[in-house]
Amino acid sequence: MSSLSEMPELVLENIIRLSDFRSVLTLRQVCRDFLNFIDDLNDSKLPDSKIEEISINTDGPENICLVYENLDPDLFFRHEFIYSVRKNSRSTYLKTTHLENTNIVDVAVRDLELILKFQKCNLERLCLSFFTFRLPNNSSVHTLAIKLCDMFKELNRTIKTKNLTIQMDDQSKFMLIIPFIDSDTLEDIYLRSIVKKVNINRIVKTEQWKKADKVQCDFFALNMNVEDIFHFSQFTITTFSISAKELDFLRKAITSSSNFYSSRLGNEFIFNESKELSNLWGPAIVSGNSYSPKRTWYFGMKNSKEKVLELISKNFCSRFEIIKLEDVPNGAIVNEYNEN
Amino acid sequence: MSSTEQGTSSAAPAEPTTAPESAAAPEVPESFYYVHGKDKVVHKVSAGALQHSALIHGMISNLGYTEEQAKANPFPFENIDGDILQMVVDWCNQHKGKPTPPEDTNLPKQKEKLFDLVLAVNYLEIKELLTYCCKQVAMMVKGKSPEEIREIWMIPTDAEDEAAEKEAKKRAGKEAAGETAAAAGDAK
Repeated sequence: MSSLSEMPELVLENIIRLSDFRSVLTLRQVCRDFLNFIDDLNDSKLPDSKIEEISINTDGPENICLVYENLDPDLFFRHEFIYSVRKNSRSTYLKTTHLENTNIVDVAVRDLELILKFQKCNLERLCLSFFTFRLPNNSSVHTLAIKLCDMFKELNRTIKTKNLTIQMDDQSKFMLIIPFIDSDTLEDIYLRSIVKKVNINRIVKTEQWKKADKVQCDFFALNMNVEDIFHFSQFTITTFSISAKELDFLRKAITSSSNFYSSRLGNEFIFNESKELSNLWGPAIVSGNSYSPKRTWYFGMKNSKEKVLELISKNFCSRFEIIKLEDVPNGAIVNEYNEN
Repeated sequence: MSSTEQGTSSAAPAEPTTAPESAAAPEVPESFYYVHGKDKVVHKVSAGALQHSALIHGMISNLGYTEEQAKANPFPFENIDGDILQMVVDWCNQHKGKPTPPEDTNLPKQKEKLFDLVLAVNYLEIKELLTYCCKQVAMMVKGKSPEEIREIWMIPTDAEDEAAEKEAKKRAGKEAAGETAAAAGDAK
């Protein structure tokens, strides 16, 4: 009888191409010949992993957690790996492998690299979370973001994901990841940081930021201009202060946009240019109390007679929402579309 | 192409009565070739069925054999077991001139036969059948652990492999030493 290991290369290639990706990962572990053969194969000859979401995060006491999954009921799978620095081990639900003297961060990054080799369709979401502030200073987990960046560089191709979520405790780490995401695929950027203020002047210059459709930042964005956000159909972002002139710039951009949905622009310092807004847009409908007034204006849209921009200005935030003309309160004036 | 011929055994006996129109229809009579495997049992296969095999198709396309010449010169495939060649011939006959379906469920389920079939099909370059066979192997690997795969498919572990290699080297070394000793003996 012939053994699987004696199959000609073309046959093995065919078997691998027609296997599911978990089987190929298993075949890699069968023997060194298979491992070398599979690792030397061009990525195009590997089956699609059909993974929808990958997340890697620092978790608990010096742990790294890597999860990949597809929640489609027909394909459903979810695999979780815990890499423990203290135990120097990799665990799944079923077993724990002790990795002796191997650097555990390298193992986690290599595993992710291997999984990415099989990614052919777009990911729905890539979530990277590096909260390392509680770790000992000398913990190897601190190097995770830099090692991921090095691995992405080596990949020689961008990662195709629709949503990118990054949670960091150090603002400099965002730029270790963002440039390696495919800007044509990326739709949605979600950035979180436990650092209150993040300088985003380099982030807003990336193709990824410029081509994305939605953005959410859970921190005060330093060095951000309204020109950096007006192209989004949805944004949630907070800056330090906002002027009437900047709000008018956004009003113009949004009323001439055809795909704007809704947004929120926060400001740390109290907004005190309400008079200037009334000079520009006419009287507002004022509600709320005098301590926290809410001023609302309505604007006609360039491309739709049925839709209206509702713009609410409060002390610490401005909200922009597209509503139906019929939902405008009685008596409220809808300012006609005006591009100036 | 007319498919009145169904290969060797299942060809319907032709009635030599008044020639019906359909019998007159094939303008070019189908040519046949002969193949045999390790067991020397000769199979008569139509050129149409053999088209599936890129290897045989390449061999026969410029031969221009007459029926007698073809019969006298069967293609020998000494590296293919008789029963495996029979399977290949049956498959080619069944799929003669037909588009191949996306799945083929008639492949052998025993891994020994399947592996020999894969090797034969790869050698004969029958692309579609190779895809079916590889799909079948992929199905058999699915859900198994590395240990199970090693056991079922008779793959030595790296340690066993290394031991075997060492043993082979040792043997080769001994033989070489024997040879040099013999050579030295000759020289004396």
